[in-house]
Amino acid sequence: MTYEIGIDIGGTFTDIVCRGADGTVRIAKVPTTRGDPSRAVLAALDTARDEWGVPAAAISRFTHGTTVATNAVLERKGARIGLIATEGFKDVLEIGRQMRHQMYDLVLKPETPVFLAPGRYRKEVRERLDASGNILTPLDEDSVRTAVAALTEQNVQAIAVSLVFSFLNPTHERRIRDMIAAEHPGLPVSLSSDVDPAFREYERTCVTAFDAYIKPVVADYLANLEADLQRAGVTVPLQVMQSRGGLASSSIARQRPVRLFLSGPAGGVVGGLEAGTQAGFKNLITVDIGGTSCDIALITDGEPLIRSEGIIDGYTVRVPMVDVTAIGAGGGSIAWRDGAGSLRVGPHSAGSEPGPACYGRGGTQPTVTDASVVLGYIDPANFAGRTLTLQPSLSHTAIKTVIADPLGLTVEEAALGIHRVLNAQMAEAIRLVSIGRGIDPRGYALLPLGGGGPMHACALAEELGISSIVIPPRPGVLAAAGLLGAPVEHEIAAAFPVKLAELDQTAMANALRGLDERCGALMAAEGIENPDIRHFADVCYIGQSYHLEVPLTGDIYETFLIAHARVYGHSTRIPAKIVNLRTVHRSRTGSVAAGATTKGAAKPPITRRIRVASGTVEAAIWDRDSIGAGEKIAGPAIVEQSDTTTLVEPGWTARLTDSGALLLERTP
Amino acid sequence: MTLDPITVEVTRHKLEGIANEMQSTLLRSSFSPIVKEGLDASAGLFTADGQTLAQACAIPIHLATLIPVLQKIIEVFPPATMHPDDTYLLNDPYTGGTHLPDIALVQPIIVDGKLVAFSAAMTHHQDMGGMSAGSVPTNATEIYQEGLRLPPLKFRDAGKLNETLVAIIRQNVRIPDTVMGDINAQLAACSIGVRRVTELTAKFGQETLKNLFSELLDRSETMTRQALGRIPQGTYRYVDFLDNDGIELDKPIRIEVAVTVGQSGIHIDFTGTSPQVRGPMNCVPSGSLAAACFAIRALTDPAIPTNAGCFRPISLHLPEGSLVNPVEPAPVNARTSTIKRITGCIISALAEILPDRVPAPAAGEMALVAFGGRHPAGGNFVTGDLIASGSGASSVSDGVDVIETDATNCMNLPAEAMEMETPIRLHRVALRAGSGGAGEFRGGLGVEREYEVLTDNVTFTHRGERHFSAARGIFGGGDGAHGESTILRTDGSSETIPSKIVTRLMKGDRVILRTAGGAGYGNPALRTAAATTADQADGKIAS
Repeated sequence: MTYEIGIDIGGTFTDIVCRGADGTVRIAKVPTTRGDPSRAVLAALDTARDEWGVPAAAISRFTHGTTVATNAVLERKGARIGLIATEGFKDVLEIGRQMRHQMYDLVLKPETPVFLAPGRYRKEVRERLDASGNILTPLDEDSVRTAVAALTEQNVQAIAVSLVFSFLNPTHERRIRDMIAAEHPGLPVSLSSDVDPAFREYERTCVTAFDAYIKPVVADYLANLEADLQRAGVTVPLQVMQSRGGLASSSIARQRPVRLFLSGPAGGVVGGLEAGTQAGFKNLITVDIGGTSCDIALITDGEPLIRSEGIIDGYTVRVPMVDVTAIGAGGGSIAWRDGAGSLRVGPHSAGSEPGPACYGRGGTQPTVTDASVVLGYIDPANFAGRTLTLQPSLSHTAIKTVIADPLGLTVEEAALGIHRVLNAQMAEAIRLVSIGRGIDPRGYALLPLGGGGPMHACALAEELGISSIVIPPRPGVLAAAGLLGAPVEHEIAAAFPVKLAELDQTAMANALRGLDERCGALMAAEGIENPDIRHFADVCYIGQSYHLEVPLTGDIYETFLIAHARVYGHSTRIPAKIVNLRTVHRSRTGSVAAGATTKGAAKPPITRRIRVASGTVEAAIWDRDSIGAGEKIAGPAIVEQSDTTTLVEPGWTARLTDSGALLLERTP
Repeated sequence: MTLDPITVEVTRHKLEGIANEMQSTLLRSSFSPIVKEGLDASAGLFTADGQTLAQACAIPIHLATLIPVLQKIIEVFPPATMHPDDTYLLNDPYTGGTHLPDIALVQPIIVDGKLVAFSAAMTHHQDMGGMSAGSVPTNATEIYQEGLRLPPLKFRDAGKLNETLVAIIRQNVRIPDTVMGDINAQLAACSIGVRRVTELTAKFGQETLKNLFSELLDRSETMTRQALGRIPQGTYRYVDFLDNDGIELDKPIRIEVAVTVGQSGIHIDFTGTSPQVRGPMNCVPSGSLAAACFAIRALTDPAIPTNAGCFRPISLHLPEGSLVNPVEPAPVNARTSTIKRITGCIISALAEILPDRVPAPAAGEMALVAFGGRHPAGGNFVTGDLIASGSGASSVSDGVDVIETDATNCMNLPAEAMEMETPIRLHRVALRAGSGGAGEFRGGLGVEREYEVLTDNVTFTHRGERHFSAARGIFGGGDGAHGESTILRTDGSSETIPSKIVTRLMKGDRVILRTAGGAGYGNPALRTAAATTADQADGKIAS
């Protein structure tokens, strides 16, 4: 029998999902090994072999979600790079767009990633193109040699090249690459016309510099991991999750490293998409509530929303990624009183050290998790797969001292208040994320993920007017499961500035054919010959600075108008233009590992008193694995499993779907 | 009645969520670049007596500016006469507005016949008519030249659109479709506030909701007074100058503030500030209130929920007929520069008593250039660029180069965007070496931008600042460099721009614009050798 493996490396745990050809699914967690994350991957292989009897040679697919690209930036462990720019423009990387993110800070911090290439590592070459891509000043090759020599003397480990208007005509950038290759073979070079061929020089330069900065780190990491896998007997190529939610073989991924920035969260969204689709929902809001943050993503008509730029360590990086918005609210969020005596929750978090008071690690600040313990939602003896025994008395004391007594509330009222405040905050954030993308959450199903998601799901759904909640079989390891459901995908874009009224269909077809050839070559290198091909154009009104991605199916202008009305609330029949063309090639390779293991035991033997908004109630306590098909669980009830706890509030009813997900709906 | 503290906090999140949803809709649905890129719009909820409940501000210059709008609307249209489907509108600075491009829309939230609250949205419109495209003429000497003045009017009367008013607006602006599109976005934003506050009323009942509102305001007031109480009491002064008013080019404009931090309030006296000026730098009172609100929020505790309670401890003395309280018909369109400098003055006044929290003065120059003419390919073009300067150094760090500070937060225009849309070429976008004030910590650098026009007869507007008065260093730090701008003509001659100018450029003419540097902090002799070496290597100072 053959097996597919998905491994997601998170901050704390490395999750492994293994699916046999017969559909059986196994799941394990091992601690993430900081410093050398690939050791956790090998530990996972050991688990597969020793505990599951899965020999390395039987692995038919090996997929991986990695934080190596993001960590290289967060830890400033990237390469020392040089940047080559058009004469007059070397400071663009440092100047950026001049906006600040912290509006009310008086002591400011730089808003641009100057650390990528401080002034001494930025050099100019003499050349210039005009706004149509025509050469105004030919490339002065002496100036190139001088610039490259000045950089290599400073021992740069990679070079980024970003010339004005190179997205219209890459000749000069390519010549510079060839000149560097001739003199310094093996020195990695990132060209802006390859990495992100689109207008706006700061954004293009920035993403190109990031690409060069992480390229050596990502290449080393993937090469080491591949070598380790080979030594372990794995014969299939390593596949890596990219930020858009598609996989790429590591040999291609290392050429385009900026596409790995959101590798981990992308797996979660794909996992959510698959779990939601299998349960019969194509419009989903995924909410991943962890210890310190809550990640929100939207899936419309079976497609995750993609945004054209993301934020890495506070810097905007223009590379397409799954549209995930993080807010600072989670189980570890600390409850406190402000100067006027109001109850506030977050944004500070107790993290995992010292963690919530009930962890008994010295934390004295009450957190959301402490509130959950006091309210009876969490069984202190059955938390996180029994890896940690909680101490309810510490939760009680923390909430009593810091919140309940000063506010004149009972401890339970205060705990309920902490939940209400957090839920109100998260609900408003989800609403804002949805509205900001032209989406009314009421038409969507909620898909809670992470250890904390299923506990807050009913409250969030009530606030948002959502009527269905889908809880996947294993919400805590969905990112790894998503790796097995993700397609192999590549996308290539190019600038194609033209007014729609003057669009030459033949020229556009030719441009798309060129993109398809390049993208097809990438897919062929993955061994995929007949990919699903979709074409898109980025379109905006003339004079407008924000574009919309429009699928090239039918009339471009009419499709644009519909998209504009959906996203911006209105559209008018005034002239529009194309900015970029894009092709996306993908191959469906499987469906997500469901991991449902229904045993269908008898009615739950126990109940527990819990506190909900309406008062103290007796709740049935279910073990997720023992819920039978056709069982209807009316709230109040609690469903426990090793990776999460689901609170079914009064007024809601839960049942299993055929796909193994738990579906919560309002009790009729 | 006593309110449950949990419900108070939950309600606050909902009100702020509603304001954010209104703002998101406003930004999302607006058409004009100034809203999309400059974020020059805001939305909020107000109590039935016109106090701010929650306001979503993309830029601080909008803080508090809707307050006089609400006051005026309530005065002109008594609440007893209001209909749930009325929408009121105004833009006139002398009847509650700010400057003419800012149109405010207000809709009453009436539930079961009783006025519960107001929903309001303000947007900077791309054009409001008047003597120049964009309606911000630097050479205006009367408000009548600045564009169409709209006193408090009904835009919708019991749901019926005021077609007469729409026709007048359309006839007076250069881009009627865009302006009406942006007004529609404001209407959409207001209607969200109405819908969601109506839902809240259904949940809590009018009486409880009213109590919740006043409780929230009281709480913010308490917290603001507590935070102000942590600033040592006393009176602190600062004087700074704007370059000129665009008309009388040799006459600097004095701004003087005396900030008195008292028992639990703050009073800002503008006595000594210049009389109102002929050019458009005058600023109606709401602008100074916005500046004060920004300063207090930045200096106290940003976690204090912003509502009318925060404004209660603030009092202002704005001498009538002065720059900060002009008398009709003084022009006001360029008030942004003034508000930015007032904000800087209030903050800098407190630098000596809060040396660890207040940095040296930022240049606070947001230079504005605008080019307009005939495109060689046909049609007209108009484009503008807003260019930042250096921020001030602090007790722990150098200033940031080329960054937006204080009351505004605008993006610059990419060279590639400008060149693809207009017959203008950018030759240089570079840090201005040596422009940061010296100090133990160095001021942030200004930027140099060099434009060439590629066609004849281009109307060129330049509105700079800090050309004649530098950002002054503190605790021994040096001043930031002055801003300076030059026109290079094709015949080899050059003209220095005296901070503000409206002129004509011919094909091949170039404009070199250099924005000012931020001020330095502390004695330059204390700067580490490593910092100096790094500055030289990175080209931030001359080597």
